[in-house]
Amino acid sequence: MDPLKFGVLVKLEPDFSEGNVSYNADGTLNRAETKSILGPHSAVACSAAFYGKVKFGAKVMVGTMGPPIADSALQQAQMICDADELHLYSDRLFAGADTLATAEVLKTGVEKATIGKADIVFSGHRASDGETGQTGPQTAWKLGYSFLGNVIDYDLDPEKRLIRAKRLISLQGFHDVIEEVESPLPAFLALDPSYKPFFHKVSERLAEQKYLKEARERARDYKKYLTVFNVQQLGVDPKKVGLPGSPTIVYKVEKIPKAMASRKAQVIDGSDAASIRGVAEKIYQVLGGDVK
Amino acid sequence: MEDFDAAIIGGGTAGLAALKQLANLGRQAVLIEAGKDTGTKNVSGGILYSKKPRHGKVFNAEDVFGSSFLAEAPYERKITKYILHATSGNKDYSIDLTRAHEYQSNYGCSVLLNKLISWLSVVAEESAQKFGGGIVSGVHVRSVKPEAAAEGSRMIIETDELEPFRCKAVIAADGVNSETAVMTGAREKFSQTELYQGVKVIVKMPEQIIEERFGIGPEEGAAHLFAGDVTLNHIGGGFVYTNRSTLSVGAVYHMDSLMENPAQPSALVDALIRNPVVSELLRDEVPVKSEVDKDLPKEEQLRTRFAVSKMVKNWTELRDAYYSPTGSQKMIESGKYKTREELKARLDSIRSDLESKYSTKFVSDYVELEYSAKLVPDGKRCMMKKPYHDNVLFIGDAAGRGVFIGPRIEGLNVGIDDAVRAANAISRALDRNDFGKSMGEHYSQSIEESPFTHDMREIDKDYLKIFLEATRGVPKDIVGQRYGMIFRLMSSSTLRGLAVGLANILGYDRLLPLVESVDTYVQVPMEIAEKMGRSVDATYQPTIPSLADRIARLSYDDDRKSHILVTDPQSEFIKKMVVLCPTACYSQEPDGKVTLQHEACVECGTCSKGTEWHHPRGEKGVIYQYG
Repeated sequence: MDPLKFGVLVKLEPDFSEGNVSYNADGTLNRAETKSILGPHSAVACSAAFYGKVKFGAKVMVGTMGPPIADSALQQAQMICDADELHLYSDRLFAGADTLATAEVLKTGVEKATIGKADIVFSGHRASDGETGQTGPQTAWKLGYSFLGNVIDYDLDPEKRLIRAKRLISLQGFHDVIEEVESPLPAFLALDPSYKPFFHKVSERLAEQKYLKEARERARDYKKYLTVFNVQQLGVDPKKVGLPGSPTIVYKVEKIPKAMASRKAQVIDGSDAASIRGVAEKIYQVLGGDVK
Repeated sequence: MEDFDAAIIGGGTAGLAALKQLANLGRQAVLIEAGKDTGTKNVSGGILYSKKPRHGKVFNAEDVFGSSFLAEAPYERKITKYILHATSGNKDYSIDLTRAHEYQSNYGCSVLLNKLISWLSVVAEESAQKFGGGIVSGVHVRSVKPEAAAEGSRMIIETDELEPFRCKAVIAADGVNSETAVMTGAREKFSQTELYQGVKVIVKMPEQIIEERFGIGPEEGAAHLFAGDVTLNHIGGGFVYTNRSTLSVGAVYHMDSLMENPAQPSALVDALIRNPVVSELLRDEVPVKSEVDKDLPKEEQLRTRFAVSKMVKNWTELRDAYYSPTGSQKMIESGKYKTREELKARLDSIRSDLESKYSTKFVSDYVELEYSAKLVPDGKRCMMKKPYHDNVLFIGDAAGRGVFIGPRIEGLNVGIDDAVRAANAISRALDRNDFGKSMGEHYSQSIEESPFTHDMREIDKDYLKIFLEATRGVPKDIVGQRYGMIFRLMSSSTLRGLAVGLANILGYDRLLPLVESVDTYVQVPMEIAEKMGRSVDATYQPTIPSLADRIARLSYDDDRKSHILVTDPQSEFIKKMVVLCPTACYSQEPDGKVTLQHEACVECGTCSKGTEWHHPRGEKGVIYQYG
């Protein structure tokens, strides 16, 4: 039986972790100064693909649309999922793309994979700098794959070509629900941020180590696995990509005004015992004597 | 259920040596380690020896990991100076034991276990993978039992994290608190008479300052041992070992002695650090930030704090690089500085800015990096007579094997020697398809032949001779008052053989109460120091971190579920744990009951004997950075 083929779609995003973000004077993000990394949700998608690689020996292609420096996201992705093939879709004509135009590029890219037609495509839940969460579903729609969102766990039956996935459904004001669904392959999975691969067998843990080591070696030499596609090489219709292919019209961007704090704060200098005692008394008062 | 040829429980030096040796023999083996990564749970005093015995064969690290071990492994320094100090107040009398340290030895290196084990893991795993094996970390073994009642049947291993699996043979390398030993019924938990408790702190010090302070060259190292009043009246002693750019400073005391006269383990290290000889060895230059003026605007206060922290960090990093030939070289190669002088100029300029602009003071003090604790099995008293059970072979600390005789302290290399013997026994059993008692007996026989076993059983008169020669300068009358007869017998080259022979007939059981006593570890060293020692005056008072600060600096992956269950909260044993737990996890309530808060536990096992004690679940618990 042929090995399973996976596609993973990732995104280079600003590093929002503490100390790495730089802002302009007006409070907007200074993209030039802020370090870029593989988006955290993309990393989750990579680890889901890695799970399949370890369990089923799948071949993996990772693709991204972005500027030339986005190849660093591919390198980081390869480190996580030991990808066999890396795609960077990069062309000035892709600039200004909304989610639909991006989906067109990604869909075409997935179909170009030399490892073969993808049985499963993985994406993150959303981008941390975009928050839209539409690119995944739209790519799935364009590919004609079953779309399974909010996936927290999955298992495969490669012979029957079936996927069984657990989806986390958050219901406002009620307990979260885990829904178990089954779908024929090919399928498109958007991973819930809480997804974490777990290997239950010793052989899987050994394979995990072996592939992680291979991933580190491959990622050191990632350009060997990298193909960069422009509009012609990808063979997409220029009208369906970039600004011309984006039906979304951004009329104006406004800063959301900071809400006024309704609570009043009292600043207490905690350098002496009396003021600390005062704080304790205040807490006791507020809690209405619930604590002793 | 999955099947493997051999499984090793525990990824310390012994376990990894077993994995590597099995791979050297072309065998499939999986090593199961509870820590998130190998090396995160291990602590050692810190010297790894390579032995060259006159009789018999010892398997050293280079026999397992390759002849280039010393060239490639990240050890710290080769110990070339070994000094025993007798202390009393500010009096110090030192005895050069370098010859005793070099006795039947190829080398002795100081090591930091986390770093060494990381390297051993890479080498062992690479070999093991060739035969379908490897290392599985973050997995805690819950049970090890035979598949069927039949002799030699395969073993089933159950864990907290993975599906059960089968293997033909098991090597238990899960340390002094071996759960495998207890769950298989191979032995009971070690008793207090069989254990030492060790507590250690890692102290930061730039490379060339270490060399200057300890009078050693770039490739050399020093080990200093301490007895006398630093022990606070306990049987054991303190040590200071030089690493590349840190020092290992620790106190190791017999559990019996601690149970009789409980002392907080961190206080024992503190007593050692406060001794002027030790504090002068640890002295370094430390920046002390001044209080930020609270009348300044908030933003200015914030800016000042940030600037000072950043400058202090830069100063420390640059200073470390300046006092390290490789560090300076790297800085120059990176293009940041053209010469070492330029580096020094920058260092001085940061320092002068810190002093003039931010009122930072530079004082004499020492810098602690990590606090750790561990139990050490006293091989003389607790080595397993039958180091196997079913298809499980016990090695190293798990088998209670450590050479702990006066200033002669060996453990890591004993574990490696055991590991090779166990791996060889398993390989032989695989060839013959003959496990159970046959494999166990073969291993047991091999262990019997080990020179270490001989050392744990009998006094070595040649080592004794070297030790006595080193102490020649000590007037006989000091020792003579208490040990006159023994001393005279041992000092005479003609009578020594006879005396040792007689002593060996008596056996360690009868000799130890006499030799390992408060007299030998405390009173005699104090008398020697008082009568013959030189005065050493401290030039500063070390700022010793509180236990809470030490715990706060450690890393943990907390487990909500406690791995220790206190079965009798009112027992005398558990009440002593309130003082003897190195991280003060126990506290006594007003009603006399003792309660446990396991979060700060460093898994030393001090309380194991009186509790239901397990290692934490996979990946959970303490994570040592140095070890």
